[in-house]
Order: sequence, then structure tokens, then C-alpha cells
Amino acid sequence: MEVGTEEQKAKFLPSMASSEIVWGQAWSEPNAGSDLAGIRSKATRDGDDWILNGQKIWASRAVWADWCFGIFRTDPTADRHRGLTFILCPLDLPGITVRPIAQLDGDTGFAEIFFDDVRVPVANTLGEENKGWNVAMATAGFERGVSLRSPARFGEAVNRLIHLWRTYADPTDTALSDAVTDVWMQAEGYRLHTYQTVTGMLEGRPIGAEASLNKIFWSEMDVRIHEIALQILGPEAERMEGPFERWVDGFLFSLSGPIYAGTNEIQRNIIADRVLQLPKGM
Amino acid sequence: MKFSFTEDQRMFAAGLKDLLANECTPTHVREAWENHTGHVPQLWARLADMGVLSMLVPESAGGMGGNFVDAILLFQEVGRAGVPGPVLEHMAVAAPALANTSWGPSLVDGSQIATLWVDNSPYVAHAQVANLVLRNDSVITGFSSSDAHGIDGGRQLFTISGGTEMGASAEVFGLAASDVMALASAAYLIGASERMIEVAAEYARQREQFGKPIGSFQAVKHLMSDALLKVEFAKAPTYRAAWSASTGAATAIRDISMAKALASEAAYRASRSTMQVHGGIGYTWEADLQLWMKKSWALMRAYGDATFHRRRVGASVLNK
Repeated sequence: MEVGTEEQKAKFLPSMASSEIVWGQAWSEPNAGSDLAGIRSKATRDGDDWILNGQKIWASRAVWADWCFGIFRTDPTADRHRGLTFILCPLDLPGITVRPIAQLDGDTGFAEIFFDDVRVPVANTLGEENKGWNVAMATAGFERGVSLRSPARFGEAVNRLIHLWRTYADPTDTALSDAVTDVWMQAEGYRLHTYQTVTGMLEGRPIGAEASLNKIFWSEMDVRIHEIALQILGPEAERMEGPFERWVDGFLFSLSGPIYAGTNEIQRNIIADRVLQLPKGM
Repeated sequence: MKFSFTEDQRMFAAGLKDLLANECTPTHVREAWENHTGHVPQLWARLADMGVLSMLVPESAGGMGGNFVDAILLFQEVGRAGVPGPVLEHMAVAAPALANTSWGPSLVDGSQIATLWVDNSPYVAHAQVANLVLRNDSVITGFSSSDAHGIDGGRQLFTISGGTEMGASAEVFGLAASDVMALASAAYLIGASERMIEVAAEYARQREQFGKPIGSFQAVKHLMSDALLKVEFAKAPTYRAAWSASTGAATAIRDISMAKALASEAAYRASRSTMQVHGGIGYTWEADLQLWMKKSWALMRAYGDATFHRRRVGASVLNK
């Protein structure tokens, strides 16, 4: 919506909104995770086509996705952050191999994608050629800021936690009731903070690096909610299947939150550099 | 749902921020500490002129006729400057609660100063500079005070004795004085925390070790980012509490408690992290950081600490 051409918007947005076409993300590579600008997968121009070569990893939803959006190096002579281009690619083309990766919870959500002389039209470029980093950062900012985790998700989880506490916990254990109250406040605070952010966007105050605060907050809250649930469950928390498997699954999934979409340590660097204006450097 | 302040509210707060940047510098605050008044008289007069002291007093009683949503950013700015003296007590409770009594006019124009004694503490903050002490159902005047040596020179503590006691009510917008003060203190703590973080960030940009500014080291960046995170996520709950308190919402007490719990913890985290970033200089009398740290350590406990308020939230949300 921000950088697509009218043609691209008409082609992709309706099927995206209806979930007819599922998209996977092809950004990280084996040697470019937190240091994303170090990607090596390349796109070389051949007439009206890009020829894609390389390997992507941790590609969310790629196992069942129809298309992927990736960043590829298009100008090897430019600086690391320049010379990258954002390219949209169907996953059923010749030369593409998708290899699922089993997650900690046993599911397969993410995958490796191998590109071997894959040919896509140059019209599939999103944004300007060699400006792919800017497109990627704009989408990442939006993802961290408001779109990745809705407040209702945590409100619902905390309500289930309160129900669990009422049903199984010792009400005289004040450390436990304090902990449950604390995550209720976090979920409620996240909801209010999101309203504030969205109102700000509607009033013309765009979301900036503060988005990184959001990502740290909800991912740590999600882990905490599940830790408390497992504490209440006691021996049942050791079972992968049974009446409480949703909590155990949820705990495992919550542990990915502080890692994906940019690790929380990277988010802390972003906040320090861009919100607090501390000097760059590792 | 709209969650933001009006242009007028933002501008009034920005005006107060500008005023305080000139009239309540760390030098002014230190002077108030060192002359043992914990009060800056010329600043008090400016706050009265600007309408800050009477923000919550109805227009019919000569005030600005505002509610807590109008006042909350002002509490925050007062905290950012670390304003010493009973400004919160006077502005958030005493002036509006006593607006329609014979004390009203002198509290609106700031010619008399009020403080509060509305909790179970044996100590009365700011008693030495106050003409009257408002309790939950009375006003005490003509008392004598004895220094109890509070940690924050801008919030000096006293025991009081003697004086004359007369009936009065300390309720504001139907809320008990201690709840109103919990709300005002939450906003003050947020402002103070933002200032500590700003001061420490500036220090981290200047101070060099290993040939680089210390702010370029990740250990320092992460301390600072975590401090900011807690402050940022205390803000929306505090603004919502101001709304609930102004509109008589059924959840007003719960919302105020949530704000005070979050702001108290955020301020303590900010004080610890920013002192750590300062290193040795942070442990000196000379560093201005102590002006906001000590205020934070005083206010995070006053009018209910984080544990008290978290349990009040818990009583509201955990039980069926």
C-alpha cells in the first residue's frame, strides 16, 4: 500500500485481504540474521527478468505460502544497505526448493528456500531498484508497531490465565496473584498503548523507531503470561498433550517472540540509537 | 475510540514546560533544598498566574475549570522539572476541594499554600511552607512543625502539633484525596523518569571510555532502552486513569492504582539505570540526577506504593 504501483496494488491486495494467496517472508539467510544487511542472495538482470540465486532461511509461512516477498542483492558494488531490491516471487516456479524446518513445538511453519536460476519479471520489483532496504525497514516498522500482534490476543490469553488461576491456584499465594495481576496490567497497558499509537497515526504522527518498544513489550509479556500459567499447572505443564496442551504449546511459541521480527536485543539497539539518540556502534 | 490530547491541552503543557525550563532549573531546585524550605516562591507566583495552581478549580470559583485530563500533562511537566514544594497537593487536591470555602480565593491566587495529610503516614510533607494542612475531613491551621528529615529536599517531611482544626472535605471529583494524589504522583513520576533518561542519555553521549562515548556500548544502550520501555508503557494507563477519574468511571480507582503501580516501578527502574549509566558521578551530591532520583524514591512510596496499588488492581480483576 505504501510503495506498490497501482498495477501491483490491483493485482495483489484483493487476494491478500481475502487470504486467497498466502505470503511468506524471505529475508534472513544462514549468515544474515540480526545483521540482515549482510544478505548475499542475488538478483541479476536479464532483459525484463530478474534471475534469482541464493538461500533464504526462517522464511515464515513459506511451507504453505503461494508467494514470497524477499530482498536480494542487485548491486554488489554498492554499500551493504544499498544495492538491495525488494522482489515478489511465486513459490511454484522452476528452480525453487522449499525445505520445511521443524520448530521447537514440532510444527513446521518456517522453511528454507533455495533459489536456483529462478526467473521473475522485473515488474515484480516492489519500490525502487536498489532501495529494497528502505522498503524492508518500512514494512518492519509497521510490523513491530501495530500489525504483528493485536492487543486482543493478549487480553484473551490473560483472561484464560485468570480463569486458570481461579480454578487451580492457591488464592493465598500472593506472589502468584501479584504475578497474574501484573500480566493483566501489561495486557491492558498494551491495549491502551496501541489505541494511543493508532490515534497518533490517524492524526498524522507516523510511527517511528518507537515501534521497537512495542515489539519488546508484547514478546516479553507473552512469555511471562505462559510462564505463570505453567507455574499454576505444575506437573501438567510437563505434558505436550492433554487438557492443557494449549498452554504448553503457547509457551513454546511465545519463546520465539523475543527472537523473530528482529531480536529484542536488536530492538534495544534501535531504541537507543534512534529514540534516545545514543551514538552508533556495537 | 480516540486516545489523544487536544491541541489546547498540548499547548498549555508546552507553555508550562517552557516556563519551568527557565524558572525551575536544577539551580533553583538545589537552592530550595539548601535553604531548607523546599519551595521556590517566585516560581509559585508564576504557576498561580498561569492558572496551573487553579487548573482543577471550577470557573465559578475563579479557577480554570479543568478536569484531570487537562491537568495530567501539567503534573508530568512539573515532574520533568522536579518542581519542589507542595504543588501537587495544592493543585490536585487542596485548591479544588476548598474552592468554595473561605480559603478558596487565597488558594486560587496562590497567596496561601496548602499541603495534605491524608494517609497513615506520621509525617506531613511540605508542612513548613504551608499555611494550612488539609486532612480527609478537616483543615488544620496555626500548627507548629518539626523537621523529620526527608530524603528529598524538595519534599521535606515534618511532624506537626498544635493548631486549630476545622471541618472540611478533601474530595475532588468525588474521589478521595489519596487517590487523586496517586494519580497526580503517577504523572509526576513519569515526567521525572523522562528527565532522568534524558540527562543520562546526554551523559552517555559525552562521557568517553575506551576511546568512545559510553552510549555506543550495547550494555549502556540496553539499560537505557529498558528504562524507557517501562516509562513509555506507564503513560497510556496514566492518561486513561485521568480520563476515568474525570468522568466518574466505575473503574476509576482500579485505573488510578494501575497507573500508580506502573509509574512507581518505571521511576524506580529509571533511577537505578540512569544512576548506573552515570557511574561514580551518579553517586555524588554534585550530579543533578539526585534531584529526580530522590523525588522518585519519595513519591513512589507516597500515596500507596506499587505493591499496595497492584493488589488493589488484583482485588478488582482477579475475584469473580
